[in-house]
Amino acid sequence: MSMGQWAKDLGMGVRFAFAGGREGWVRALLTAVGVGLGVALLLLTTAVPNMQTVRQERESARTDLNYSYTDLKKSDRTLIVADVDTDFRDKDIRGRALEPEGPSAPLPPGVEKFPGVGEMVVSPALKRLLESDGAKLLRERLPERIVGTIGESGLIGSHELAFFRGGDGLAPHIDGSRVARIERFGDTSPVETRTDPVLILLVIVVFVVLLMPVAVFIAAAVRFGGERRDRRLAALRLVGSDSRMTRRIAAGEALAGAVLGLVFGTVFFLIGRQIAGSVEVFDVSVFPSYLNPSPALALLVGLAVPAAAVLVTLFAMRGVVIEPLGVVRTAKPSRRRLWWRLLLPLGGLAMLWPMIGQGRDNGTFNEYLVIGGVLLLLIGVTTLLPWIVEAVVARLGSGGVAWQLAVRRLQLSSGTAARMVNGVAVAVAGAIALQMLFAGVESSYTKQSRYDTQRAQMEVSLSRNAPLDPAVEEFRDTKGVQQVYAFAEGYLGERRKDPEMGAEMTVGDCASLRQAAELPSCRDGDIFYVSNSEYDEDTRELVKQPGRTVYLDPSYDGGPPRQEIAWTVPQDLKKAGTHEDFMGRQRGGFLLTPKALPAAAAPALRGQVYLKLDRSVPDVYDHVRNTSTAADPLSYPMTWFSTQTADRYNTIRTGLFVGAVCVLALIGASLLVSQLEQLRDRKKLLSSLVAFGTRRRTLSLSVLWQTAIPIALGLLLSSVVGLTLGAVLLRMTDTPIMVAWTSVLSMLGVGAGIVLAVTLLSLPPLLRLMRPDGLRTE
Amino acid sequence: MTPPPGSLLAAQELRKAYGPTVALDGAEFSIHPGEVVAVMGPSGSGKSTLLHCLAGIVPPDSGSITYNGRELATMNDAQRSALRRSEFGFVFQFGQLVPELTCVENVALPLRLNGTSRKEAEKTALTWMERLEVDDLRKKRPGEVSGGQGQRVAVARALVTNPRVLFADEPTGALDSLNGERVMELLTDAARSTNAAVVLVTHEARVAAYSDREIVVRDGKSRDMERVV
Repeated sequence: MSMGQWAKDLGMGVRFAFAGGREGWVRALLTAVGVGLGVALLLLTTAVPNMQTVRQERESARTDLNYSYTDLKKSDRTLIVADVDTDFRDKDIRGRALEPEGPSAPLPPGVEKFPGVGEMVVSPALKRLLESDGAKLLRERLPERIVGTIGESGLIGSHELAFFRGGDGLAPHIDGSRVARIERFGDTSPVETRTDPVLILLVIVVFVVLLMPVAVFIAAAVRFGGERRDRRLAALRLVGSDSRMTRRIAAGEALAGAVLGLVFGTVFFLIGRQIAGSVEVFDVSVFPSYLNPSPALALLVGLAVPAAAVLVTLFAMRGVVIEPLGVVRTAKPSRRRLWWRLLLPLGGLAMLWPMIGQGRDNGTFNEYLVIGGVLLLLIGVTTLLPWIVEAVVARLGSGGVAWQLAVRRLQLSSGTAARMVNGVAVAVAGAIALQMLFAGVESSYTKQSRYDTQRAQMEVSLSRNAPLDPAVEEFRDTKGVQQVYAFAEGYLGERRKDPEMGAEMTVGDCASLRQAAELPSCRDGDIFYVSNSEYDEDTRELVKQPGRTVYLDPSYDGGPPRQEIAWTVPQDLKKAGTHEDFMGRQRGGFLLTPKALPAAAAPALRGQVYLKLDRSVPDVYDHVRNTSTAADPLSYPMTWFSTQTADRYNTIRTGLFVGAVCVLALIGASLLVSQLEQLRDRKKLLSSLVAFGTRRRTLSLSVLWQTAIPIALGLLLSSVVGLTLGAVLLRMTDTPIMVAWTSVLSMLGVGAGIVLAVTLLSLPPLLRLMRPDGLRTE
Repeated sequence: MTPPPGSLLAAQELRKAYGPTVALDGAEFSIHPGEVVAVMGPSGSGKSTLLHCLAGIVPPDSGSITYNGRELATMNDAQRSALRRSEFGFVFQFGQLVPELTCVENVALPLRLNGTSRKEAEKTALTWMERLEVDDLRKKRPGEVSGGQGQRVAVARALVTNPRVLFADEPTGALDSLNGERVMELLTDAARSTNAAVVLVTHEARVAAYSDREIVVRDGKSRDMERVV
């Protein structure tokens, strides 16, 4: 067979794809839209690595605080930066106060001119937020005049909330962690972090699980219009086309749809890219410029999709014998064989098996084996499902007319039904496996925080030198604040330099100190010591020698060095017992009531406030944040939650949710298109059934059964494969196997919901098609 | 408007248009029990539309249709469907058998829709298949039988409920002359044996020859051609 003949036949198929007037165009457009949606999703996936890189580069380029105290001297080229991050409701806002110390001070990325005192430059999203009606509280906290906008190069996402405000008098607050003097922006010493192998495994599985249904979807989309096409091809057989030519012509038709789909997909991607810049999903936003597909991967998509269309069609046409005289053999096809269908999932298991028990401490997983194994297992769903549907429906007994019509149809063409639900089954199987894997490893990444959220719900760290008492008064007057516990905290050592022993010093009123330790009795002027707290070996040594001089040193707490303040261990110390404080730790060292603190020691201490709130008060957290900023612009308010989740784990889970939503929406659309096409093909039959009195309810129920039976079997199979894959993945990470049944049921519910939605959406057209005027031929 | 005395099904002053196309323009029709009436006319003359209106499949824009003294226009969709299920039978040009069901299941389908049990329905279906000489096809699907055989199965399906009126729309249109004649013989014999009236839409004179009376439809108007067989 010459290439020329191949090209000629494919070319004829391409022409046929668009022939046939309106119907031909509609069919080609449907296929192209279907393939286009899949292509768009694939292109988006190829752009993800670039997106992550750009986000990381931008984050790195704007790094200013590196949490180490450097003794950089003030010069024309220095800038003092203070971290004034804040939150508004559940949104994080990145904030920096900038105080240039000379004309050559470095400008942050995206900023053209330093804002003066009382001015700020903001990100477009923050500008919109501040101008919105509901942001009055935030506007009180950020009252500066907006004099500019942060450019794209200074932001990591289009919806990022960020501002730079002019700062003044920041130098005394330099501590290296929240206030620093810098000469340039950018991460000077990026640390190569070793990514957890389990996280990499999760990412790989997420991608495979999300892309696999897209591939299944594309394979289904190129077969849109299959039944009409078969009739058309029969006519070609009549005029002399042999069966091989016919198959190639059919492949040509699919190729046309796929190529047009590539064009559509590119357009959809470009539209989606622009839309992506204006949306935010789970706090992640991007700029359209981030979403540039990797050229090699994009080329691969461009070649693989048309090639897959041709191959899928040739493969699908194997079982269809197209004969001349318009006869398409619809006799019962030969029975499907099980053995090779079982080989695929078993092969997948075999690829994953060597990594069982590897855990996270034995290096990274073999990515190729993981991808291959997961792929084979999921492809196994698509090959096993037609066999299962065929085997089960062959054994289904007769029931009512609706049931009989549905079962008989499934017996005659179980492949079509199985193909329809393949995508959902693969997506659900993958999602169940991932849910299991997430649930299993969640405990490693999600920690129950030690914060006692019953006693306090917010913590405010005041900056060094910020007066504590006035701040406490302001917090007491803040709406929604029920109780204020305030401490001045510091560290002391037994020597001025390089001490070998150290202890905490906590100053607070009796009510506050009682939250930190068991006090025998307390009145202002008392000093206590706690010598038996965990990790504190030194206090009991220090209290053995009353009258000895110890030194409060702010540098222990990130403060400036060489500012030690001497303090004498008093004679009349009272012993206090330990208990867990608000943060779930046993506080040790010295506890002083305010009168017992020498005035000279105050500068070495830093104010810390813990707040018990009435959470029923609307925006109570923001009221506190406003008070905090007003009392001390460099203060750091923090909201406590009972659990803490590792950021990267959150990111992957977010990715899974976003991806699963896209994929299921796509599959739902494809199911609907396929369903409608099948109904259109049966328009005349439906009309004639109605003509001799068949109730519409009977026909509607029959359509529902036709979808429900394969989807029930598909979901059952996907549960088995999903649970097996999940169990294997958990064993690979050396995590005990446990099944999150609620997740499994919810995933099954989502899959069933998609099918139900598709059935409901196809009912109105079904009812229209059942109108008797479908019998008209003229 | 009063229907002719003794008529089982009658229509007067029927008008029906599909958009700008007038299909029926004052057509008249009547049929008596046991009578076979051929509705003839060229393609696009409105024959099938007349049949669809008479069977309560399509409502006319105006005019009156009475069946057994009842005005069809006063019935709702469910009542008309029930009427079609129990009193009428249908044969279409291409059989319109359900491809997934076996031949006997196809014939039994109208009975099952009326609530008869599957076993009973298939037993009755088989007797009709014997009468129409297709009982050996009972386990085959429509895709596995010839056009003439399929059409005889369709006739059996139409008669299985013992309808009082059988509507046949070009029942031999897709068959060769030999098969067509056999189908017509079996159809008319079976109908006469049950005293069913037959409304036979055709444009073939040799098919119309099986009727007792002919009505010609042209440009939406009908003309009765009295003829004694």
